[in-house]
Amino acid sequence: MLIEKTLIYFVIATFLFITFAPLLWVLSTSFKPNSEAISFPPKFLPDSPTLDNYLFVLTDPKLVTSLFNSLAVSLASTGLSVVVSALGGYAFARFDFKGKNLLISTILGLFMIPVVINIIPLYIMLANIGLLNSLFALVLTFQILIIPLNIFLLKNYFETIPKELEEAALIDGCSKMRAFWHVIVPISIPGFLIAAILSFRFSWNEFVLPIVLSNRPDVMVFQVALYQFISLYRIDWGYLTAGINIALIPVVVLMLFSQKRMIRGLTLGAVRG
Amino acid sequence: MKVTLEAKTGSIQPYLLLAPALAILIGFLLFPLMWNIYLSLHDVSLTTILGDWKYVGLKNFDNLIHDHDFHTSLQVSLIFVGGSVALQFFVGMVLAVVLNQQISGSNTIRALFIIPWTVSAVITGFSFKFIFSDSFGIMNYGLAQMGLEPVAWLSDPGIVVWTLVFANVWHGTPFTVIFLTAGLFSISPVVYEAARIDGATKIKSFLYITLPLLRPFIIINLILITMWSVNFFDLILVMTNGGPLFSSTTSSLFMYRQAFEFGLLSKGAAVGFLLIAMNLVLAYTYIKLLRSQDKTVELRQ
Repeated sequence: MLIEKTLIYFVIATFLFITFAPLLWVLSTSFKPNSEAISFPPKFLPDSPTLDNYLFVLTDPKLVTSLFNSLAVSLASTGLSVVVSALGGYAFARFDFKGKNLLISTILGLFMIPVVINIIPLYIMLANIGLLNSLFALVLTFQILIIPLNIFLLKNYFETIPKELEEAALIDGCSKMRAFWHVIVPISIPGFLIAAILSFRFSWNEFVLPIVLSNRPDVMVFQVALYQFISLYRIDWGYLTAGINIALIPVVVLMLFSQKRMIRGLTLGAVRG
Repeated sequence: MKVTLEAKTGSIQPYLLLAPALAILIGFLLFPLMWNIYLSLHDVSLTTILGDWKYVGLKNFDNLIHDHDFHTSLQVSLIFVGGSVALQFFVGMVLAVVLNQQISGSNTIRALFIIPWTVSAVITGFSFKFIFSDSFGIMNYGLAQMGLEPVAWLSDPGIVVWTLVFANVWHGTPFTVIFLTAGLFSISPVVYEAARIDGATKIKSFLYITLPLLRPFIIINLILITMWSVNFFDLILVMTNGGPLFSSTTSSLFMYRQAFEFGLLSKGAAVGFLLIAMNLVLAYTYIKLLRSQDKTVELRQ
C-alpha cells in the first residue's frame, strides 16, 4: 500500500515538473533583459530583473493593436458561436423533424474535418470576394472551429432540462420561442458559460487561420504578432517571453476557473454524442 | 387540451433554428472542402488567384509523386504522428489511471495538468524552441552539468523530429488525460468491488475490466489525437519552419509551405486532398481494428 502510494506521488511529481518547468523557465526569462535572456550558462533567477520587456510589449503599437484585435475577434466569435449553437442545440434537443439524424451525423462529421485542410480554398475564396485581411471575416471563419462542439454541448445540456418547465410556459400561452427565451435561457447560463469559455479559448489561441487570412499588420491577431518575432537574424527572447506570458493570462485564468465544469461538459458530450 | 413540446410535423421552426449554424458550416467548411478537389485539378498560384485557371487534370498529383521533398514529408509525418500518438496515449492513460486513485487533491492536480493543452501552439513552439536551443538552451546546459555532450536538438536532421514529438506530447497529452478520465468516471466502482471480492489483482482488473469498458473512449481518443497530429503544423512552423531544409517538414507543413511560401496553391490543394484521404483512412483503420478485437473476445467467450 505504501509502495503504491509512493509510486503514485512520484509519477505525479515527475509529470508536474515536466508540465511546469518549461512555463516557469519562460516566465523567469521574461524578467531578464534581452541580452541576459540568451546568456550562457543560463541562470534560473534573473541577475538584473526588469519589467522592460512587459513594458515594451504593452506599448509597442503593432503589438498593442494585435492584442486588441485578438480580444475583439475572440469576444465577437464567442458571442456569435454561443448564440448560433444555442439555437441549433435547442432545435436538436426539443424538436423531432425530418432529416434530424442525418443532420446530427453531418455536423459530427464536420467536426472531424481538420481546419488546416481548408486554408487554401478559404484563402482563395476570401481573396475573390475581397474579404482577406478582415476581422469580420475572421470571426465568421472561426465559427467552424467551435460550432460543432458547442451545438452538441448545448444540445446535451438542454436535454437535461425537464420538458415540464417549457410545457408550463406553453400552457400559460407562450409561444415556443418565448418559452425558450424566458424559461430555458436563464437556467442554461452554466451551459452557455462552458460553451463561451471553449469558444474564447479556441479563438484566442488560433494561429493558422489568421496567419493565412489576415496577416496585414493592422489586422494581425496577437498569436501572429508573436510569430513575427522570428526575424531574419535573431529573436529578442526577453520581449518574446513577456509576450508569451501576456498571451497566457486569459486562457489559463479561464481554464483554472472552469476545470470541473469542463470535464462535466466533455463527459456529457462524449457519452451522449 | 394537451400542450406538448413536440413540434407539429411540417413545422419549419427547427430548420430555422439550425439555419445560421448550417449556413456557416456549409459555407466555410463543407464548400471549401469540396472546392479543394476542383483546385487540385487546376493550375492556381498566388499570381493567378483572381484570373483564369487552366485545367491540368492530375498533373499536380503527378508532380507530387515525383517530388522528393514530398516523400520526405511523408516519412517525417510518419515518425511525428506515430511517436506523438503512442506517447500521448501511453502517458495520458498512465496519468488518467493514477489520478483516478483515491488521492487527495486529484481535482486540483488534474486542473494543473490541463494547462499545457490550454496554451497555444505558438507559445508551446517558442517555449521549446528556447529550451532546446543549441547555443543557449537550458536542456544543453543541463546535459553539460551532468557531464554529457550537448545535443543539436533542433538542427540535427535525425533528432529534430523527436524534439518536435516531445513538444507535441507536452502540449497534447492533457486531452487524453481528460478524455480517458471521463471514461474512467463512467465505470461504476461496484464493478471493481465485485472483481476484488473474486480475488482479482489491481493489474488484472485493469486489463480485463477497465480496458474493455474504456474501449469506446479509447477509439475516439485515438482517432482524434491521430488526426490532430497529422494536421498539426503551427507548432513545427514556429519551432523549426520545417528545417533544417525539409527534414522536419510534415505533410501538413509541406502543404502550407507549398501554398504560401512558394505560392503554388493548387499543388498545396493536391497535398490537402491527400491529407484528407490520410485522415479518413486512419479513422477507418482504427474503427475496424478495434471492432475486430471485440469480435475475437466474443468468439472466445
